[in-house]
Amino acid sequence: MARWIIPVVASLWLVGCGEQAWQTKDISGLMPPLEFELIDENGNDVTADQFIGKSTLLFFGFTHCPDVCPTTLARLDAATQRMDEATRDDIQVLFVSVDPRRDDPETLRTYTDAFGPQFIGLTGDKAALDELTRRYRVTYGYGEEDSDGNYDVSHSSAVFAFNDQGEVRLLIRDSDPMDAVVADLERLASGA
Amino acid sequence: MSLTPHPSLPRLAKRWCWTFLLLIATSGTLAAAELEVSEARLRLLPGDLPAAGYFTLTNASEKGVTLTGADSLAFGNVMMHRTVNQDGVTRMQRVEQLVLQAGEQVEFAPGDYHLMLMKRTRNLAIGDDIEVTLRFANGQQQSVTFRAVSSTTQ
Repeated sequence: MARWIIPVVASLWLVGCGEQAWQTKDISGLMPPLEFELIDENGNDVTADQFIGKSTLLFFGFTHCPDVCPTTLARLDAATQRMDEATRDDIQVLFVSVDPRRDDPETLRTYTDAFGPQFIGLTGDKAALDELTRRYRVTYGYGEEDSDGNYDVSHSSAVFAFNDQGEVRLLIRDSDPMDAVVADLERLASGA
Repeated sequence: MSLTPHPSLPRLAKRWCWTFLLLIATSGTLAAAELEVSEARLRLLPGDLPAAGYFTLTNASEKGVTLTGADSLAFGNVMMHRTVNQDGVTRMQRVEQLVLQAGEQVEFAPGDYHLMLMKRTRNLAIGDDIEVTLRFANGQQQSVTFRAVSSTTQ
């Protein structure tokens, strides 16, 4: 047996034994568990408890956002398309609109339907959104209205990932390689 | 006003005159051929939510050009934007003009420069070809065909 094989095999074995590392940003324990009181895309009052049991990806945005919001959602769609159906069914994406003035439940429903069944639109009044965004230390704000009544909304760009118990695990960014996102989401869905 | 050289001009002057007129007439076309646009696509969202236009623009000419905006008969309003990300917060910034030096290439791509196309004037479907005119500071225009793609296109 070649001399190099022993250390290689030994290190592979050790890697196999050790805790597998997350490839996107691990924020376990750094943020509080999933909690909110919002309105869903069917107009119903919902709380975070109703979403326990599946891995949850939380993203803040608004529907009148042509570039970054659909880009992030399309990436999450592409990542889940690479998984088998059972794994995909264990993941839900909560799109929280921080623009309730324009994003009524119907607009949200039509919007999230364009991305897939695992995408769920949520929003709420200012108090509910402020509480949720403060909880995860993110901000949002409104730009000036133009003559058409259109305005920009600033929002956080990263996706928060929670396990099926609602415990925070990851911060996923658009700059993360797709392979890393897929690997981490599969691991998350397996109960990590 | 007639573009024909005056009959009293000497023959050499006439020839110069024709050459000059020809140069004026073709300069616009020549310049347009030196601006290349590729991968033009328009990502649609449901309803009348604003769409994003992405493309790659190459200035293959020997002079700098300045892109000042775009418009399309299919939309009431088209704006040039850039997504900026600062301390984890993302927002859109209006872009009034974009200078491309000779030989320079700029990519309008997700998370960066993009066209924001608002107020559809007709129904649009995935797979449609949509004409968009790019406008430049020197008055030059370039018509580009954008392919409409789905919301889940990255």
